[in-house]
Amino acid sequence: MTDKRQDKSLSHIQRKLIPSYIFLIIVSIISVFPLYWMATAATNTTVEVARGKIWFGTNLMENYKNLIAQQNLWQSMWNSFFYAIVQTVLCLLICSLAGYGFELYHDKHKDRLFGVLLLAMMVPQVATLIPLFTMISKLKLLNTVWAFIIPSISTPFMIMMFRQNSRNFPVALLEAARIDGETEFNIFFKMYMPIMKSTYAAAAVITFMNAWNSYMWPRTVMKGNAVQTMPMLIANLSNGYAVDYGMLMLGVLFCSLPTIIIFFVLQKQFAEGITGAVK
Amino acid sequence: MKKVFAIALVLCMLMGATAAVAEKLTVSAWDANFNIPALEAAAADYKANVDPDFELEINTVSGSSDVENDMTTAGSSGDYSNLSDIVLFQDHYIQRYVADYPDAWVSLEGADINWDDFGAEKLSYSTINGVHYGVPVDNGTAIFAYRVDLLQECGYTIEDVTGITWERFIEIGEDVYAKTGKYMLSMDGSGNDLPYMMLQAEGLSQFKDGEPFITQNEAMVKIISLLVEMQQKNILYLANDWTGYTDQTIMGDQVAGVMNGNWIIPTIEQVAENSGKWEITTMPTLTGAEGYAANGGSSLYITANCKNPDLAKKFLAYTFGGSTETYDNALRNGGVITCCISAGQSDVYQEGVDFFNGQAIYSKIVEMGSHVPIVEQNDYHYTCRQYIGAAIQEILMGSDVETALQNAEDQLRFAMGL
Amino acid sequence: MKQKNKGGVQARQQAAGWAFLTPATLLIFLMSFYPMVQAFITSLKTGSSANLQWAEPLFNNYSRMFQDRMFKTAMGNTFLYLIIQVPIMLVLAILLAQLLNNKDLKFRGLFRTMIFLPCATALVSYAIIFKTLFATQGLINSWLVGIGIVKENINWLGQPGTAKAVIIIALLWRWTGYNMVFFLAGLQNIDYSVYEAANIDGASGWQTFWSITVPLLKPVIVMTGIMSINGTLQLFDESVNLTNGGPANTTITMSHYIYNNSLGQGVANFGYASALAFVVFILVAVLAWINMKVGDTRD
Repeated sequence: MTDKRQDKSLSHIQRKLIPSYIFLIIVSIISVFPLYWMATAATNTTVEVARGKIWFGTNLMENYKNLIAQQNLWQSMWNSFFYAIVQTVLCLLICSLAGYGFELYHDKHKDRLFGVLLLAMMVPQVATLIPLFTMISKLKLLNTVWAFIIPSISTPFMIMMFRQNSRNFPVALLEAARIDGETEFNIFFKMYMPIMKSTYAAAAVITFMNAWNSYMWPRTVMKGNAVQTMPMLIANLSNGYAVDYGMLMLGVLFCSLPTIIIFFVLQKQFAEGITGAVK
Repeated sequence: MKKVFAIALVLCMLMGATAAVAEKLTVSAWDANFNIPALEAAAADYKANVDPDFELEINTVSGSSDVENDMTTAGSSGDYSNLSDIVLFQDHYIQRYVADYPDAWVSLEGADINWDDFGAEKLSYSTINGVHYGVPVDNGTAIFAYRVDLLQECGYTIEDVTGITWERFIEIGEDVYAKTGKYMLSMDGSGNDLPYMMLQAEGLSQFKDGEPFITQNEAMVKIISLLVEMQQKNILYLANDWTGYTDQTIMGDQVAGVMNGNWIIPTIEQVAENSGKWEITTMPTLTGAEGYAANGGSSLYITANCKNPDLAKKFLAYTFGGSTETYDNALRNGGVITCCISAGQSDVYQEGVDFFNGQAIYSKIVEMGSHVPIVEQNDYHYTCRQYIGAAIQEILMGSDVETALQNAEDQLRFAMGL
Repeated sequence: MKQKNKGGVQARQQAAGWAFLTPATLLIFLMSFYPMVQAFITSLKTGSSANLQWAEPLFNNYSRMFQDRMFKTAMGNTFLYLIIQVPIMLVLAILLAQLLNNKDLKFRGLFRTMIFLPCATALVSYAIIFKTLFATQGLINSWLVGIGIVKENINWLGQPGTAKAVIIIALLWRWTGYNMVFFLAGLQNIDYSVYEAANIDGASGWQTFWSITVPLLKPVIVMTGIMSINGTLQLFDESVNLTNGGPANTTITMSHYIYNNSLGQGVANFGYASALAFVVFILVAVLAWINMKVGDTRD
């Protein structure tokens, strides 16, 4: 193709795409609007929010002052980060090991076992809350990061994702390394992990998001404002005889930003990693 | 494998654990604008006047259900270690929780508190088999607040709406809506605060001898019919939920009257431009006598996890047991009104409140609280209220009163396993 | 790949394979299956949580469900959400993915990010946002009245039909972008030449979509289908935070009803709650299995 032809066809193509653009713009606006509204609400007073103001106001600093006076915002942010990061690291390690094992060493038994593990995806959280709490309390782990993370370190979904993606791992490399005398574990840590880094990125985004947003379970095992997470802080703000919406929305904004930023930063790897999962 | 795993985890946990201090108590409570300032006032009072080393760590939770869930999980697993030393607990549930998990609570026996100084209705919740378990914090006494300026516009005074029947109330309400466009009353449609309070003002309950008392309860049927009539005549506005009730109807300045537990006062006060235009009085009743009821409210209880129950008892007895300093500051900073009769006689309580047209509402509320009749309570209190609320909605959607109430009673009986 | 290896090496590899998946497997058994077994045992018991007794007859909690009107309402609602929301969401997600997969489209990354953003918002917060937007005096109403679509403000969350619609809209808003990302990834795996070949054959856009895209996306459809069915049947937050099951319990979901029976209303009826949860578990498992089987047979 010559440049000239390309130019001509491009503008033609772009014209044909106008309906797509219009549709995508509408969907994008709908997607982003509630978040925009949340951001404006964080800068307004509660009465302004209740009366439906949708433009930025001047009450941001006041809301922030009220928020930190009433809640330990930065402690909660730190807690959420700490728990979510520990959970993400451990979950990725344990689940990638399993996904690798299930795919590259697969046989009839392991495939069956995998089928059984998938069932765990369907276990309703409300049903296991009390037995799990009893277990964690017997292990004397209440109020520790372990209580937060243990039930979600190993999830069928993550194992499935790594198992699918492991199909892209070149078997020839594995064979070569074995002939060179590398141990099975070394192969995993030295070859598999670097090669699969985009899968890890995608898995990290999803795990971090889930950990960051989880509420019911942490609420049950984490007690006290010193160990509370951001969703718990927001829940504390939104209940009471009178709710301060400006302050609440500022809290919500703080709670939403980290996941949004992480998606922004990792979105390229995220897309690549997901691609492997659905092959 | 499992054992190694457990040991490793325990080790990790130990490194992160924190040690407790002897003169320190922890308390779990909700609502940063209401109960928390009351607790802070009590802690400051005790620290200043009794023990300078005293420390109270307040754990803010999102609502009463958080504390209930903590007790349920702790009680079911038999591990109380995650409970605070003291918890704020809803009055309507405490009986069941003490019955279900007797080991989870420490009674107040030996605490230096003059129980006669508290309203009998309030204490009827926290006293189990004659033993006191809780120290009352706030006072749930129901008030009926009216916009006297609007009443005046229509030719009525606060006396004209005091000690009247609901029928008379409806007449006045129609007049007020016609002339001012404001509703005399509002409620959240998913709860049922109004029927419960109206029934209590008649000295009746939604339960009788441990069973639902709904369709056979003439007063209940009458009250529900009245509420439906009020809704249809634009006297009562039903909001979808609690925030709709507080934000749209009260803060949105749509009402000329508010009837609820007195903790609703801070919400009324949010609309600054209506300052001086409100006054409070008692509720109408079916007979035209002055009606007294209570809604909501909670008390402080000591849990089995408290390492120093003597300190907890001393603290509670000194502060919420009747300290005017505690209660005065609780009122000033959080709007918490005591149900301790002697504390309600302090100067702060006698002051007129500008927002309420100079009326000394606090002492009036404490006085009203002493008249609230004791009615039968049940563990399924809120379940019942939810079904009654649903019945009102069904009637408004076209169902007839009898069928809807029968549905509610059937479902409640089912939930209760009857 | 392993026939030529000697027995010892093979055994070592086998052992390594099992070693790799042991931690994850143990954790799942310990954290999901063991509590589920306990929940099943509890489901055969009755009484308050501190004092559970074996039910009489043993499956009383299960037979009790048939007389429970709330259970039927909750079940009906849950399936309604499932039948309406999941297909709309998946179709919309495929459509968006298809549009975004066009190489000539500009700002693809920006569109992708914006449409994905809703699922990055914390659950608690998005419920508050939707409740405020759909309030009777809220923004949606003032727009609709402004444009002239409706005459007076609609009480969205106060009527059973519209309240359900709001729940479905909220779910669509939050999860369409998430699913779209998976479809987009699936589409990017399809070689562009397949489409070019179809173009040469003169197939219309719609034909291409049905005969080429959908079959090639089948594994993704099955995966997102399972995730969505599971998510919808366990729907909890929207019911609790948006409508609190109301008005008159007409929008309550199964998980919400289970929660009300265990922790929600101070009435800790764990036996019955566990029985309800078990029924949900079996339903989800059966539906997921059917989904997988349907996915397989079309091969």
